[in-house]
This record gives sequence, structure tokens and C-alpha cells, in this order.
Amino acid sequence: MSGVRGMSTAEGLVRLYPRAWRARYGEEFLATAGPGELHLQLVIDIVLGAIDAWLSTEARNATRAYRVATNGGGLPMLKSILVCNRTGSRFTKRGSLIGAGVMIGATFLFSVLGIVLRHAGWPVMGEILKSIAFPGSLMVSMPFWLMKGQPWKTQAVIVGSSLAMLVAVSYLATMI
Amino acid sequence: MKNRDDLLSGLGRFSEPSLYILISPADGPKHAYAMTQDIEAVSGQKLGPGTLYGAIARLEARNWIEPLPTEERRRPYRLTAVGQRVLRHRLESLRSVARVGRARLAEG
Repeated sequence: MSGVRGMSTAEGLVRLYPRAWRARYGEEFLATAGPGELHLQLVIDIVLGAIDAWLSTEARNATRAYRVATNGGGLPMLKSILVCNRTGSRFTKRGSLIGAGVMIGATFLFSVLGIVLRHAGWPVMGEILKSIAFPGSLMVSMPFWLMKGQPWKTQAVIVGSSLAMLVAVSYLATMI
Repeated sequence: MKNRDDLLSGLGRFSEPSLYILISPADGPKHAYAMTQDIEAVSGQKLGPGTLYGAIARLEARNWIEPLPTEERRRPYRLTAVGQRVLRHRLESLRSVARVGRARLAEG
């Protein structure tokens, strides 16, 4: 079967992948896939690969480590903090430190709990908890800095619904 | 050693391609295109680039393979010491399964 019109070349389809993924694997991916139009089966394979690259924690971790390394380690994070400080952020130093502590603690807790559940015979639950370790801990830490001063009901709804959405997306990701 | 085997099985739909990708550079570094050719010759399966790089990213994240400097737009991958142990254990496990299967077929 001949190629599909439009985005039927590897160069077109590689744009479906996350930017960090393209920075890490893009060039060799194109060299491997080769020029010219692709068969439908290959197009489907590449599209499924792109969905996986967006949703899979492991695939994202592989490219995230590369991005941090090529950007000079913690330099982007340091720049963000400096920009935040220069523009007169409304966050207090104490609130930010507590938020950071909660985030680190929750990340550790989610990760350890994920590993324990995986070894205890609940691999899906374990994988979900490991997947949401960072974004989940960010959500949990929000009431201590980003949402400080907001009504507790608002905080509970936003944090609760975000966590529920994260769990749902992570669960879907485990099925791919 | 059961855990290592579980880890390879835990790669879901990528577990079989990952096994082939671990086998391919076992005799020396190979880039992705050479791996697909090798895997097709050994197993008869042609891995698409989406599946191939999905598996490569996972294996790299687990430090079972590692990239070498790029050569003409292609990056060779090498099996790490951890990858060798995982592969060796998986192959031993498959050999046991094959032995039992053959024995039962002979009995039947």
C-alpha cells in the first residue's frame, strides 16, 4: 500500500513527538526511518509511538534526563527562580520553602509507595503512583504556596480533581 | 533473580521488542537501523521506528543499553553490564520454558 497523503513521511510524523523527544532521538529516528513516503502500517506504528512518547513516564524520563543534561543541569530552574524574584513574586520565602519541602516529601512518599505496591502484587497501582510522583506532589504542595489564602473548599476541589485526573491519565497510560 | 525477569516482562507491549533489542548489540555496539536489520534476520520481525524507539527509550532509561557518540546521524548503542545480566537471565528463563514445552510435547 502506498503512503498516506500529507503527513506520510517520517519528517512529517516526527513532529507529533514531544520537543524533548525530538531533540534526543529525532535525528537518528529520521535516519532509521529513511526518506520518502511510508506504508500505512509504519504510519500507524509511528503515531502510536508518538502517543506513547507523550503519555509514558519512562519514555518522558529518558528524554527529560537528556534535556536537563544538555541545558546545563539545574541552570533552567535557577533562571526561573531568579526571574520570579526579579519580577516581585507574591510568594513568601517561607511559603516557598514549605511548598518545596512538601513537594519533595510527597514525591518520595508516592515513589516509595509505588515501589511497595508493585512488589506487593499491585503492579498497576504501583505504576500509577510512580507516574504521578512528581505532578501529584506538585498538586499536593500547591495549598502551601500557589493557592495560599484561597478558601479551603476551592483548594480541595482543584487539588482533588487534578489528582483524580492525573490518576485517570496514568491508568490509561498503563494500558498502552 | 526473579525481579529482573519481571522488569523485562513489565515493559508491556515493548517487552518482546526489548528482548530483541537487548540481543542485537550483545556482540558489539549497533545503531538502530542495524538493529532492525539484525532483528529481522534473527526473528523474522520487522520493528517499526515507533516501536523501536519506544523500546530504546525504555531500555536507556533503565540503563540496560547506553548510547555512544553519533556517527553520520546514527547513534550506536551498547549493552551495559546490567543489560547483560538482565538478558542472560531472560534467556535462561526462556530456555527452561522451552525445555518444559518440548518435554510435554514429546509426552503427548
